Amino acid sequence: MKIDTVANSGYTVVSVAGEIDMYSSPALRDTLLSLVKKKAAVVIVNLKDIKYIDSSGIATFVEALKKMMAYKGRLKIVNVPERVMEIFKFSKLDQVFDIYGSIEDAANS
Amino acid sequence: MAIEVTPIVITIPSHPRHLSIVRAAALLAAEIYGMTTAEAEDIRHAVDEACSNVIKYAYKCDCTRKITVKFQETQTTFQVTIEDAGCKASMDDIKIRELDEIRPGGLGIHFIKKAFDVVAFDKKKRTGNRLLLTRYKNMDRQAQK
Repeated sequence: MKIDTVANSGYTVVSVAGEIDMYSSPALRDTLLSLVKKKAAVVIVNLKDIKYIDSSGIATFVEALKKMMAYKGRLKIVNVPERVMEIFKFSKLDQVFDIYGSIEDAANS
Repeated sequence: MAIEVTPIVITIPSHPRHLSIVRAAALLAAEIYGMTTAEAEDIRHAVDEACSNVIKYAYKCDCTRKITVKFQETQTTFQVTIEDAGCKASMDDIKIRELDEIRPGGLGIHFIKKAFDVVAFDKKKRTGNRLLLTRYKNMDRQAQK
């Protein structure tokens, strides 16, 4: 898994590529929680190049979302591949996460 | 084509970095045994979650142990057997949460049950665990459920 973090004016984009599983999710958790620690106002997670996500990856996003909601930060997820969206829908997390079609849409919302 | 009676068996160290090998094998085995792409992806996900549970709960994150995964088809089923030599588990020990309850954790068993019709531990295994996952093939699925 590869994680690329880019800070922009008003938001930070975290692009994740590859497979998110029990092995790789701790690195994603570290990245997201470091942004939470800084009280980042808006974090946009770009899943365009994600090939797989397991329950540990989903748990990482839920944990980050809950921690950001506590200080009124916003976690937005963009470019969700079809298979990952199926998993979000099955887990009913499509109703919980703010999901957008592109980074631009998420940044402008 | 005749049913192959010899199972596909792989053994991996209980380190999470090897889960990708199990996922690849599960996906390919499911496809070879006639599952659709969507069904094979569900099976890959379920086997990955089950092996992650072995590492977390049976082996308590000891990465030096072994996990054996066996794929086999019968006339009516696709079966996956996952064996470990860790702490004894039962279905009652597995953490599960309602899908409506939004919190980290507890989702793995939902993904396992989505892919497999029967999820059970082999009670005859004295030490360690043998998780038996059975999926009825499409033609018999409705009748079995």
